[in-house]
Amino acid sequence: MDIIVCVKRVPDTSETDLAIDKGGKDIQKGDLDYDINDWDRFAVEEAVLIKEKAGGKVTMVTVGDEDAEEMLREGLARGADEAFLLSDESFEGSDGYVTASILAAFLKQRSYDLVLTGTLADDDCGGQLGGMLAAMLGVPVATLVHKVDVKDGTVAVTRELEAGLSETLDIDLPAVVSVATGINEPRFVSIRAVRKVASIEIPTVDREELGLDEAAVGSAGAKVEIETVFLPPEGEGAEIIAGSPVDAAVRLAEILKEKGGIA
Amino acid sequence: MKTIYVLAEHRQQRLRDTTWDALAAGRDLAQKTGAELACLLLGSGVDAMADQLAKECPKVIVVDDPRLANFNSEPFVKALSGLLAGRDSYVLVIGNSNSIIDLAPGLSVALDAALATDCIGFEVDGGKLKALRQIYSYKINALVSFKDATRIVATLRSGFFSFAPSGAGPGAIEKVASPLGDEPLRKRFLSYVEAEKGDVDIASADIIVAIGRGIGDEEDLSMFESLADAMGGVVACSRPIVDKGLLPKYRQVGTSGVEVKPKVYLALGISGAFQHLGGIKGNPLIVAVNKDPRAPIFRAAQYGIVGNLADVVPALEEKIKELKG
Amino acid sequence: MTLLEPADVPLAGIPAPIVAAIILLVAIAIFSYVMLRRIQLLRAVLPDPRLSEIGRRIWLALVYGFGQARQPRYLGAGIMHILLFAGFVILSLRSLTLIGRGFSSTFHLPLMGGGVGFVYDVFKDYVVLVVLVVCIVAIVRRAVFKPTRYQHTGNSEGHGAEAYVILGMVSALMITDLIYDGSAMAVRGHTFSPALFPAATLGAALMGNANESSLRVLHVAGYWAHILVFFTLLNYLPISKHFHVITAIPNVFFAKLNKGSIKPVRWGVDDWMELEECGAGRFEQFTWKHVLDFYSCADCGRCSDNCPASTVGRALSPRMISIKARDYAYEHYPVFGANKDPGDKPFTGNIVTEQEIWACTTCGACEQECPIFIEYIDKIVDMRRYLVEQGEMPASLQKPLQQIKKKGNAYGATKTKRAEWTKALEGVQVKELQQGDATDTLFFVDSCGSFDPRIQEISKSFARILNRSGVEFGILGKDETDSGNEIRRLGEEGLFEQVSSKNIEAFRARAFREIVAFDPHAFNVIRNDYPVKFPVTHASQMLARFLEQGKITLKGDYLAGRLVTYHDPCYLGRHNGVYDEPRAVLGRIPGMRLREMHRSFTRSFCCSGGGPLLWYENEEEKERMGERRVKMAAEIGAQVIVTACPFCLINLEDAVKTTGNEGKIEVIDMVELVDRYLA
Repeated sequence: MDIIVCVKRVPDTSETDLAIDKGGKDIQKGDLDYDINDWDRFAVEEAVLIKEKAGGKVTMVTVGDEDAEEMLREGLARGADEAFLLSDESFEGSDGYVTASILAAFLKQRSYDLVLTGTLADDDCGGQLGGMLAAMLGVPVATLVHKVDVKDGTVAVTRELEAGLSETLDIDLPAVVSVATGINEPRFVSIRAVRKVASIEIPTVDREELGLDEAAVGSAGAKVEIETVFLPPEGEGAEIIAGSPVDAAVRLAEILKEKGGIA
Repeated sequence: MKTIYVLAEHRQQRLRDTTWDALAAGRDLAQKTGAELACLLLGSGVDAMADQLAKECPKVIVVDDPRLANFNSEPFVKALSGLLAGRDSYVLVIGNSNSIIDLAPGLSVALDAALATDCIGFEVDGGKLKALRQIYSYKINALVSFKDATRIVATLRSGFFSFAPSGAGPGAIEKVASPLGDEPLRKRFLSYVEAEKGDVDIASADIIVAIGRGIGDEEDLSMFESLADAMGGVVACSRPIVDKGLLPKYRQVGTSGVEVKPKVYLALGISGAFQHLGGIKGNPLIVAVNKDPRAPIFRAAQYGIVGNLADVVPALEEKIKELKG
Repeated sequence: MTLLEPADVPLAGIPAPIVAAIILLVAIAIFSYVMLRRIQLLRAVLPDPRLSEIGRRIWLALVYGFGQARQPRYLGAGIMHILLFAGFVILSLRSLTLIGRGFSSTFHLPLMGGGVGFVYDVFKDYVVLVVLVVCIVAIVRRAVFKPTRYQHTGNSEGHGAEAYVILGMVSALMITDLIYDGSAMAVRGHTFSPALFPAATLGAALMGNANESSLRVLHVAGYWAHILVFFTLLNYLPISKHFHVITAIPNVFFAKLNKGSIKPVRWGVDDWMELEECGAGRFEQFTWKHVLDFYSCADCGRCSDNCPASTVGRALSPRMISIKARDYAYEHYPVFGANKDPGDKPFTGNIVTEQEIWACTTCGACEQECPIFIEYIDKIVDMRRYLVEQGEMPASLQKPLQQIKKKGNAYGATKTKRAEWTKALEGVQVKELQQGDATDTLFFVDSCGSFDPRIQEISKSFARILNRSGVEFGILGKDETDSGNEIRRLGEEGLFEQVSSKNIEAFRARAFREIVAFDPHAFNVIRNDYPVKFPVTHASQMLARFLEQGKITLKGDYLAGRLVTYHDPCYLGRHNGVYDEPRAVLGRIPGMRLREMHRSFTRSFCCSGGGPLLWYENEEEKERMGERRVKMAAEIGAQVIVTACPFCLINLEDAVKTTGNEGKIEVIDMVELVDRYLA
């Protein structure tokens, strides 16, 4: 079972306050910490779990620059067997579509049974990679998968719908599966574990080696551009009931009674 | 743009709410661009739904094929590509859902179209479409444009486009032969898997007391249960509470949980992430109690208290009991 | 009628000395072989240097080994054990004499002939009675009153019987001695006053009705019975929980001298990162001293009885770790037969479960209590190191550790904001020391003091006090990283090295006379674990010093007559022996009314832990340790709990709320309290 996992290095924006940068088309990133996209971490763990059960090889790949090596090495420490960095100056400004085509070019040069990735990336919140990649490779796709069962030549997946409802699908391999968070419990990767894989080489692959035209990558090849970014407007919002917590609670009870909130 | 297409989403012979959101957006775009508006309905035995759509849309294009009975991205992408082959200068608008996440990206590649997902708004600027989406943990709004694309696929976040029946119909229903060939599917739908039903169906509750991460380390939920009892409502929650194992999944409100339509929604310690709010339909009275005055819930609520749950909830329950007499 | 002595009575035609010789040789042979097998295991596991400070070790062995100095912590059982131990030592001479009597009826040990022997015989007769009485009391206590700390949790049954076996055998030794001496006395008549030989007299009285020939048989039978019981007992020791009879004093001699520190990943290995295996996963990766600990555990339960994790219902019971480990050792390294391969089920995770291993707060109550200095913390840390190697780490701890790795603190705050708290401090300028700066005192604030809003109040209080004292001080600011105490104890040695080397680099780049911290965890790890030593003081010690030197004076009435109790933090008290200075500080507060909790000083009860452990969620516990502790304070009527650790403060303040004591009990840090009284 040869698995290729596509991962992305993103800034951690979940808990920090964000500010718009001078250009108005991105946020200020100087103070932010970068790490592997949370969804992709689940994908790497899932790949390693499948390998541990069914045998095979796990390959990690990312589109980025040398800063992404730390993330790839953590994946190797987690249990991946090899990692590749797709890097080229011309990749600057790529949108989701271009990123998918770069990865597709890499994948087309390799043989694999399964491609795993996270359904969503926390920076662009697009959720495009899995589907686009599969279409470019001409293989089936399943997204928001929270259970993977690899069989001989096929994979059975369960994907999230809503209201606790899920659907099960049977898919021929090779295929692309993008996972949902919570599909597994990623193991802890200690510093020693990362040190142990320090000597594994992470080859860099550039645009030429991937056989891509300059016009097809970067901002040149992008189909979507960001015009401007801004913080969401505050909005009218709620009427805040003033006073001590107890007083406010009393007033709230009265409002609820008025508005039919007490049956 | 010549045409605005709206893809209808349905399940088990019922049109889903996302379809109406998309239709509202489609109408808006059609009006702003002067383009034609048409609904796309793919399924099996969909006459009734086609009629429903025709009441609200000037044109409904139907593909009826037993292989499209259950949603499956593979035949749907093939059918839509076949259907839209040779057509150009269009925007395909789809209401986002977990099923559409499976469809839209692959579809955009098959159509060689530009894609914007989970949009919360649109602008038309000099005849060009621009979409508003959220990025960076949904904390930043981004206005995106599509360069010179003549084919655009856009999925919409539900709850951001309000639909009102126009009653303008009935529109024309155009049946098109199924573009699907005989090749076997490489992706096969097997079945739906229901989550355990449990003892309470919060979807039918009128009064809901929902708890979120703001309850902190508290594991004893009796304070909230007795408040819900006093109010005559049910206890629900956001995802972190289910993740912690405090409540079962059928009490989770949200886009990945249960859709609720209460009259009154009391949000305790809930930040107000859209995935949670997305599960609240209709226009209930939302009241929020949260320690953080900047929590997004206060934008969605009509009334709010900034304070500690431990201080507010017991006092609230006491006064409610008093008012009930 | 003369009494024939055993040495002169052939058994089944064989001369008695031959029989004695055979018994002696067989018993010694078996014993030697068993001991050899036990020692072989010690040599098969990892090294552990334990010969430093020989003088101190001898002192420990004398005071705690022979002196049994920890036994009276449980007064009743302690006195009984001291009596049994003393009896054992004194009666060993008697047993040796009796062995000799199998060869010659006039045998006596060198120097024990004549008057000395007589005095000894009188003395030993009392001792025999005392030991017999203690044994009977012990059997009754165990069987009827069933003290809870002797109960075994889990599925390790069968060991309870061992106590009865031993007590039975010791009683048998006393009784056969009674029979041997009593029968002689009954035959010869009472030539000595009963007051001199009460045991023999008792024996004689019990056999009073027997005729002479029966008495002669009893005399010889009693003798051989005694000999057989003696050698059975001797050989029973290394296969049971009573191995401690042999190993206890060596165990104390080889005790861990440097408390508060954690052993290196492997002794004698500098570049531990290059090791194939890390931590103790297989049994053979414990050190010989750890295995000696397993041999020595007397199953007394004192450790578990004081373990806060056990008390609140977590899976951990320290004593069960020793018992299970010893069972494992006896099973896989049997006396007879080949060693057993555990296959693919390593010791850690199977015999001792993950729940047990992660439940420990490293408070040290177990090690403090053990009468023979068995260690637990290093073993738990070694097992954790192995688990971390396998990728195991409780889910609730993974995020804080990752934050420490990326941002140098568990709160996820940006490190450039580490000194932000100083800006809110009015009237005091806190200097952020840059590289190359010099000062008198380096105030190590640590992550909680820098980022937790509640603890920032303590930082401000301490800054005010330092300022008032006239001492020149400064902080590291953004060059400060988490001190790493818990990180090391959680088994993430790599991350510990990362944070400690960053701090050491920051220390080296500045000149100062001493480091001070109000966080005992930082104090402990810098003092005991950092590979480079710096003079470090805890805030309570510095405050005691300031008050003594008159650098600060106290006035006011913040406490307003409320009853105060002091909670000894684990990392200040047990691990570093700082009990008196905090109390000295409290003693200087005007109007102080201080009452100690039942569990205080070395018996203090852990609040559930500090550093990243604040985030740890345990599923089995029935209540929080902090809640238990607050109830202890409420029990003595305390209205104020003073503590000297920021994590104790957080845990106890939370517990005050959840136990419904809000408004009734105030928790305050010592530094804050002194600040309230600062003149």
